Amino acid sequence: MSNEKKSRNNPPLIEVCSVSFSYGRNNTGRALNRVSFFVAKGERAAILGHNGSGKSTLAKIIGGIIDPSEGSCMVNGKDIREIDFRELRSTVGMLFQDPENQIVAAMLEDDVAFAPENQGLSPEEIQLRVDMALAQTDMLRKKDSAVSALSGGEKQRAALAGVLAANVECLILDEPTAMLDPSGRLKIEKVLRYLHAEGMTIIQITHQLEAESFSDIQKVIVLSEGGVKWQGSVNDFWENAESLGFTVPDSLKIKRYCDSHGIKFPEGLAELKPSAKISTPETKYDDKFLVDGLSFKYDENSYALKDINADIHAGEWLSIIGKSGSGKSTLVQHLNALYKIQEGKIYFDGQPLPQKGEEVYALRQKAGLVFQNPEDQLFSSTVKDELAFAPKNAGFKGELLDEAVIYGLECAGLSRDFLARNPIALSGGERRLVAIASVLSAKPEVIVLDEPLAGLDASYQRKILGMLSRLRDEGKTIITVTHDLDMALHYSDRILILRDSRVINEGRPYEIIHDIMGSVKPEAWPEVLRVSAEVRKVNPDFPLIYDYEEISRCLQ
Amino acid sequence: MSAINMNLGQYVPTGSIIHRLDPRAKLISMLLIISAIFPSKTYWGIIIWCGVLWGLVCASKISWRSVLRSAKPVFFLAVFTLIFHIIAGLFRDESLTVSVISGVFMSIRLVILMMFAVMLPLTTSPLELADGLDAMLRPLSRFRFPVNEVSMMIAMALRFIPLLMEETDRIIRAQVSRGARIGQGNIFQRVKSFMPILIPLIVIIFRRADEIAVAMEARGYDGGTSRTRRKPLIWRWKDTITVMISAVCVGMFIEIGL
Repeated sequence: MSNEKKSRNNPPLIEVCSVSFSYGRNNTGRALNRVSFFVAKGERAAILGHNGSGKSTLAKIIGGIIDPSEGSCMVNGKDIREIDFRELRSTVGMLFQDPENQIVAAMLEDDVAFAPENQGLSPEEIQLRVDMALAQTDMLRKKDSAVSALSGGEKQRAALAGVLAANVECLILDEPTAMLDPSGRLKIEKVLRYLHAEGMTIIQITHQLEAESFSDIQKVIVLSEGGVKWQGSVNDFWENAESLGFTVPDSLKIKRYCDSHGIKFPEGLAELKPSAKISTPETKYDDKFLVDGLSFKYDENSYALKDINADIHAGEWLSIIGKSGSGKSTLVQHLNALYKIQEGKIYFDGQPLPQKGEEVYALRQKAGLVFQNPEDQLFSSTVKDELAFAPKNAGFKGELLDEAVIYGLECAGLSRDFLARNPIALSGGERRLVAIASVLSAKPEVIVLDEPLAGLDASYQRKILGMLSRLRDEGKTIITVTHDLDMALHYSDRILILRDSRVINEGRPYEIIHDIMGSVKPEAWPEVLRVSAEVRKVNPDFPLIYDYEEISRCLQ
Repeated sequence: MSAINMNLGQYVPTGSIIHRLDPRAKLISMLLIISAIFPSKTYWGIIIWCGVLWGLVCASKISWRSVLRSAKPVFFLAVFTLIFHIIAGLFRDESLTVSVISGVFMSIRLVILMMFAVMLPLTTSPLELADGLDAMLRPLSRFRFPVNEVSMMIAMALRFIPLLMEETDRIIRAQVSRGARIGQGNIFQRVKSFMPILIPLIVIIFRRADEIAVAMEARGYDGGTSRTRRKPLIWRWKDTITVMISAVCVGMFIEIGL
């Protein structure tokens, strides 16, 4: 709190005065409309907005990459357009979503040195800046590494070090954790907290406030359709979050309830008696896939998969969870013969999985795979052609083909006027839906999705979750590969945990909750689970609950 | 981790004496050696060059496996050369043994040449390589040749080739999983079957290029005219000696006619 007061009284570092921006001429394609706000020196602010709200454009204007069409942006009281290039670049630094697109050199130290080299410093000063930036981002022990040897989270910290080496006063972050797994995200947040405590001004652009960062954020600016819809403190924001179209974190909802009913949070919850486990009857099932002793190596020394045994039931939703590099993607790519089996067996509907010939194409029609990044597959000039690609390959012709395209479109909840549109020109969320539709159009029995929610805002996440639940209810088998424990616990019927190329456990969420908790750090647990784990410290009989619905039921 | 694992001479840092040489010295030596291997005609010549290569790989502390893997694409070319040579020999009425022997000789020479060539990127980081080229091309800036831009372009290309390889691999998987039949059918169908890979790749390259340009500008890159270096290139005695040894070797080879 003292921090907040301190920075409130500071002079503004960034001042956005009535900024408008249009991509087209004569005010067409307006992305921003009369946006005004300021961020004081040493303050940490979040600019919140849904996909397409104009927040990335705003980031580029504050960062001095593009000039506003109208209005002005001031840095330290000076118009950004009048600041000397080198001075501006050593005041304001920018970090973007994809670390691969920010790292320019193959070796870590060479990359971090890029900004001070551009500033024309001496070799000694450059080395000093590099060491300093690597220390700030906790990357010193990776000093001599090649960038390609770093994990996703480490790459993003390397990119952050590259920005800090310019010795900036202000950091602008555009969705810096959207592509990272929970542990990578937590580490970045830790670095940001440290930098903020050291006096750095931070402006974070995001579509959803992450639970781990909101206690550190002082100011929230909500952007909608190119204009500032709301601004204020983070506590006031949560009061209004729902009306602004953002989801309130579960833990906050519980805390609010406790506050309004005079229950001490979280200890007071220990007195409650939540209903025990939801008992769902054991139903008979058929195996869709049976994986028996599957092992796979990319090279002689390291296993990507080691002795994997798994049943995937027909008509269930299975989530496969595990850290990056635990073998999740390799496993699911075996299911439609993208990888040839080296050791072990896989059965599909009781038959050995085909490995070559026409049968493989038949398998690929039955078991569709949606990759994480829609850019990896969209190639047609219209959505219609894109949706026709998979069914055409599977031998659909004429009316059947047209019908398949419409089926895919409708499953994904897209309207018919999408058919004539160009997939590349769609928004990120729409592209994801088209990519899913382009797999569904072949009418598969099994749909495998790799991180289907990553990087999407809440409304698209809801759309996709609704779609997958519907498809499962229609009898399709859904397999999701994900870091998102919330999704895995709430939506899937069963969970398979992978660690270091092996299966740790497989079962219904309630049955294997301890193994799920053990698979990630406590900070990355779903919030309700964290609350109930807190309560268990007081009352060890309190059950482990991950479902907000359930905890709220027993609160009433 | 990718299916089309073509690590075209990706830098392998081992910190050996070869790694620590000035990139300019390595560039010059490589050019000298390659220009001497080209005209070498005798078995003795090839054997000696094999010895030199062996010494170089040992000194660089890089595993033979990495070297061979980097030179892999050239093996196909070598086999092709051999077959072509044999067929050409048939037309020239040479005996089969003669054309096989001379074909094998040519193929081996090609492989050795390529292995020398890949030692440069294996022992030199892309940035060093670009800095070396930059320094060597510097005189050309007098003729308005954009030296800064060209060397940055080369460094970026070297940095992004492995990444684009991975990307291509992912695209192929995404399309194959939707039932794409790549490289099947007649010539027309084959060419057409590559479009679902080519188009996403081009879109991704452009998108990346755009984002990288913004990120570089945000880090203060303005064309690089007044850039300094964390590790400025320093020409030491060992660099002079390296170039001299290579020059003497090459001179001797040409003189003796090996």
